[in-house]
Amino acid sequence: MDREFFVSKHDAKAENAFALDDNIMVRGGLTTAGSKMLHNFISPLQATVVDRLLAAGMELAGKTKLDEFAVPGISEGTCDILSGAVGAVAEGVCKVALCNDVSGKVRRQAPQNGLYYIHPTYGSVSRFGLIPAVSSMDQIGIVCKNIDDGFDTLGMIAGHDENDITTFPEKSYAYAPKEGKFRIGIPSNVLEEADEKSKELIYDFAGKHDAEETELKYFEVFSQVMYILSSAEIGNNTSRYDGVKFGYRADKFTGLNNLYTKTRTEGFGPDMKLLSVVGAYVLSKDNYEACYLKSMKIRRLIREHANELFSRFDAIILPIKLKDPDPYKNLALYAFATLCGLPSVSVPLGRNEGIQLVAQAKNENSLFGICKGGR
Amino acid sequence: MDMQTVSKYEAMVKLDLPESERIWIAEKVSMLEDSFSKLSKVDTEGVEPLISVVTHDYSLREDIPVKLVSRDEILSNSPEQFDGYFLVPKTIE
Repeated sequence: MDREFFVSKHDAKAENAFALDDNIMVRGGLTTAGSKMLHNFISPLQATVVDRLLAAGMELAGKTKLDEFAVPGISEGTCDILSGAVGAVAEGVCKVALCNDVSGKVRRQAPQNGLYYIHPTYGSVSRFGLIPAVSSMDQIGIVCKNIDDGFDTLGMIAGHDENDITTFPEKSYAYAPKEGKFRIGIPSNVLEEADEKSKELIYDFAGKHDAEETELKYFEVFSQVMYILSSAEIGNNTSRYDGVKFGYRADKFTGLNNLYTKTRTEGFGPDMKLLSVVGAYVLSKDNYEACYLKSMKIRRLIREHANELFSRFDAIILPIKLKDPDPYKNLALYAFATLCGLPSVSVPLGRNEGIQLVAQAKNENSLFGICKGGR
Repeated sequence: MDMQTVSKYEAMVKLDLPESERIWIAEKVSMLEDSFSKLSKVDTEGVEPLISVVTHDYSLREDIPVKLVSRDEILSNSPEQFDGYFLVPKTIE
């Protein structure tokens, strides 16, 4: 049963084992990033997170399946395929699984399977050895059944890495649940788009703390900003896949240009092709200002709004899905943490349901405290 | 977006899509274009673009050469290599 979640599997004691999505490198092993383009790529490096977990005495359970390059997929059916990282932990094959959840799929699926997902502050965990997708948003997070296990694991992997210039200077972090009563903001404009069950869960959960309604500004353009910036960055990050230096190469071609084109056409899946085309569109002379530059400016407005919100609240509570199941519209729910580099925790509640909590950067301990019930 | 415009962007990113995929992408991009038009409603006058959320100063390591990966390891992932080089099709007749 568990093998359907894995690309490769090792013998390991579940209570001490971690799994990795197949876009995180283990030296000498295959790393496909879920793409035909890297079907035969042998990792010459090892991710810092792997070094740190092995040094802490954990064992590798295997590599789990993911959507191609973990990109925000909006093609039909993509969102319904269960993430390998979620499946592996839900099946009890390992204690935790590490993945890069740019799209938000894991933040939705983990609670729906009775699990937590910890998305740490951007810059607290090294991305060295992670196949890049959206560099300004890529962040390795943790799927776990038990929130203490999740934060224990985060304590093992977080901290400065000289191989990743975006990591904060702190060598390590002490994660412990903050105590007290928490101020939680409920963005009513977001809840208008959530189903009744999600609203009920949010009001019940937030009601145990000092809850107050608020507004999450710019929510109506979160999906657009997220998709535009993602497509531009993915387009750049995947220009390296050309059939020359590594990975897939088309069998038959006529000259160098045709080698590039045939290799990329055969090697990428539908969402990657869509994102590549959209990336070229938003970066083109005609659309750069209205799409790409505009999105970067709105990203700053969102970040400034986040600072204002977190001067009043310890956390903002969000649903994990909208009434409308359209994956593009649902990107908005995960964009707040991803675009701003903020920590979030997806929390399982009830049957196949859950909520998300987002906090100010480096404020994981508030999220930990809220998950533990406060005082 | 019409098919001709999709083809123009395809060529930029070195793709040559079969007709069925081009139709699907044209439909998706048209939907996205409609959606992107909402951005113009946000007032960004005088706002600087945010390129990265990193707020700390980048710390550079000591400038000491470190060999992370050997040439042989890098070349071993290449579909074709010769005499320590990546091999590509002939480009000059």
